[in-house]
Amino acid sequence: MIGTDPKTAHYPIDAERRDLIEEFRRSPKGPYSSELQKIVHRMRWSGEGGRFALMPVVPGKTWMLMLLPARRGDPIVPQPDQIFTSLEDAEWAVFKLRWKAITEHAIPEDLDTTP
Amino acid sequence: MIDSTSILAYASQLSVAPGDEIAFHIGSERVRETETSIVRVRCGDPDENGPGLKLIEMPSAIDGRTPIEPQPIHNGSYGTVEDTLVLPSLRSFTFGCYVYPTLIGSTIDQTVVSRWNGRDDAGWRLDIDTEGFAVLTVGHAGHLSQIRSPVPLLNREWIFLAVVVDQTSGAGLLEGSSLARDGGRDRRFSVSAVIPTSGGASPDTPLVFAARWSGFSAPQKLTSHHFNGKIDRPRLYQGTLEHAATLALVENLTPPATDPRLIAAWDFSQNIPSDEFVDLSANNLRGKVHELPARGSTGANWTGQIGSWTEAPSQYGAIHFHEDDLEDARWQQTCSMRIPENWRPGFYALRMRGEHDGRKIESFASFFVRPKRGRRTADVLVIAPTATYLAYANTHVRLDQSHFEVMADSLLIVSQDDVFLSAHREFGHSTYDTHLDGSGISYSSASRPILNMRPRANTFNYVNDTHLLDWLEENEFAYDVVTDEDMHRDGARLLRDYRVVITMSHPEYYSKEMFDALEAYQNHGGRHMYLGGNGFYWRIAFHPTKPGIIELRRGVTGLRSWEAEAGEGNLACTGEPSGLWRSNGRAPQRLVGVGFSAQVFDFSTFYRRLPDGLESDTAFVFEGVGADEPIGNFGLRLGGAAGLEIDRADHTLGSAPNIRILATADRTGAGGIPTPEELPVLYRGFTGEESSVARADMVLFSTAEGGAVFSVGSIAWCCALSHNQYENNVSQITRNVLRRFLSDAPL
Repeated sequence: MIGTDPKTAHYPIDAERRDLIEEFRRSPKGPYSSELQKIVHRMRWSGEGGRFALMPVVPGKTWMLMLLPARRGDPIVPQPDQIFTSLEDAEWAVFKLRWKAITEHAIPEDLDTTP
Repeated sequence: MIDSTSILAYASQLSVAPGDEIAFHIGSERVRETETSIVRVRCGDPDENGPGLKLIEMPSAIDGRTPIEPQPIHNGSYGTVEDTLVLPSLRSFTFGCYVYPTLIGSTIDQTVVSRWNGRDDAGWRLDIDTEGFAVLTVGHAGHLSQIRSPVPLLNREWIFLAVVVDQTSGAGLLEGSSLARDGGRDRRFSVSAVIPTSGGASPDTPLVFAARWSGFSAPQKLTSHHFNGKIDRPRLYQGTLEHAATLALVENLTPPATDPRLIAAWDFSQNIPSDEFVDLSANNLRGKVHELPARGSTGANWTGQIGSWTEAPSQYGAIHFHEDDLEDARWQQTCSMRIPENWRPGFYALRMRGEHDGRKIESFASFFVRPKRGRRTADVLVIAPTATYLAYANTHVRLDQSHFEVMADSLLIVSQDDVFLSAHREFGHSTYDTHLDGSGISYSSASRPILNMRPRANTFNYVNDTHLLDWLEENEFAYDVVTDEDMHRDGARLLRDYRVVITMSHPEYYSKEMFDALEAYQNHGGRHMYLGGNGFYWRIAFHPTKPGIIELRRGVTGLRSWEAEAGEGNLACTGEPSGLWRSNGRAPQRLVGVGFSAQVFDFSTFYRRLPDGLESDTAFVFEGVGADEPIGNFGLRLGGAAGLEIDRADHTLGSAPNIRILATADRTGAGGIPTPEELPVLYRGFTGEESSVARADMVLFSTAEGGAVFSVGSIAWCCALSHNQYENNVSQITRNVLRRFLSDAPL
């Protein structure tokens, strides 16, 4: 049967590529360089580190991070301690979670700030 | 944050005219009273970056506080045979049929056929248990005798199952034989055991296909343990038959009705568009299906030589049942009113307010007011795309399928409606979703709360369309509204007196009747403004006898979230082919000059003028717009007027010879991804970054008798209209074209 399989996302991510972290941090909504685009595709396609979404708290102004379920029909779990006033900040927060989940290395401390 | 889900409702019908009665069915698990009123919707989008929510209070008899209560929804399709004479007296019988399970490994037992009463725990039933084994149960007064197959059945493999119940001798038998026996598929078995010699289900218990009778009455759930899969050619015979004889009875498409021991030979291949199914035996034990299972499904005898049930119904004697099918929520009516004579046509909604746990509740249920038949109130007619709203109704696809984040190249924005629907699957699905067994959902019904067809809903379809209403009102263009279903049922005569017909941001789903009506309008001097994208794409039908229900079978091309099963591309309710209009010989380009080319869900873009848009005869379109000015490099949907889903012109697909391609938005970037039917072969470099296949074309062409069509080919267009307080070139062009189309000036 026709369908999409997130497990097929397999582009390798090099944990040493500080330049890509910096690029994403500067421009979380893109456009991205070719290399960063592939990394972002893997993260957004595979959902490693969590399938996340945003729910507007004030439409167009503030958003809350939500964790989508791995299994159909399970609840969507709000993350009330993760409220953002910009979509860029939300993207950066999720990027950091996924970077760590995939590479098993946290974002270096000197980069772990919102620019 | 306003609570939009603690009170939910639906209207008795989507389309009403002044003077018509409309009823509302309201339910709540949390509050026992609501404040009801009616609003006319000018803009349903609360985003403060745009026009904001604009709802006009419409005082009516329904204003006030209304008591409400919880209203359950019971899903699951099934078939029933009511009989109090023949079936209750059977003490010795043989039952056989072909079965095609599609959800082996479900969390509950699934009943294929039963004459079982859950209140008494008595009768007989044939189940598939949670591990996939077939189980015959005969029960009386709480004592159950069960016979279990020695091997589990296989998912999506036909198997012939037979049971023998002989309460005179106390013998029970369960047998099976796979249709295909290669590659480890063989599941032949025969198991016998002693069963009770007394008892049975009470006389008023129906024989049920694909479920068990609960023994309760409405509004409690009538059935339980629904089966997911197909059942083909069920036969019931008095007395005990050998396996081969039962199989022969099933294989025989026309068993001898004069055989006095033949109790029933149900034939699901007759009356496919209806809820009725026939019995070929002399007993005439006719039955009925409930909650819209998929009829017109291939049987175990389907040869693969034909593709439609209309060509050889006898090969389509199967019904595909699903535990999550839903035809009608069947909520009790809460209140009703008559539409006042002075209400102008438009988008309307019942507003329900309340409070729960300190949070304010504001919820809506949509309906549409059309003019009385034959009484046009304006020169402009807006067609509310209710077929598309139904196709997307309560969609879970962004939650259940994981590609949406990478498609948009950004985090998904979900709403509290999504959160609610994710946990409340009983509200039914959209035609984008799949059933629990993975098969596509082909029906959608308006007889249930639809959370994404109302003010404050997710920003697609309904909410986007209200931006166009807002712009019409801002510019003081009077308009009438009719729904897709009105156009389907009333045809071209509904449109012909209007000077201009406008289709909205995403009129994606069209029936033949709708397509014909619009084409006839255009060819009879009508002027059509198509202000959307991905229009006229999928072929659907409104159910001939059930208002508010559409059916769709997705084909093997197109931007599809599922494919119809092989041989099941035709609609059960009419027999028509479904799939893409392009595959039906009527690509959208033939109707409106442009047709679906690509999705662009990361960044919308702008149009640039082409030579056709610089000619003197098309100058009226761009009056007040500079020749080199980017058109729509702004907008609420991803920053441009060309985006989300976009359409292009193509003469080979039917764009008119006299078409003028006024402008194009062909720089759609890496996120401009062509739709599958645009890619005859696979090659690199096909995205909008490197190719102009993924583009939106703005076109104009004349039709017969002074008619004309103007198309923008982009869903995002309407959400750019309000930019800069409505002073922008998207607004200017739309206004220029609408004024010219309304005038008597030739085109």
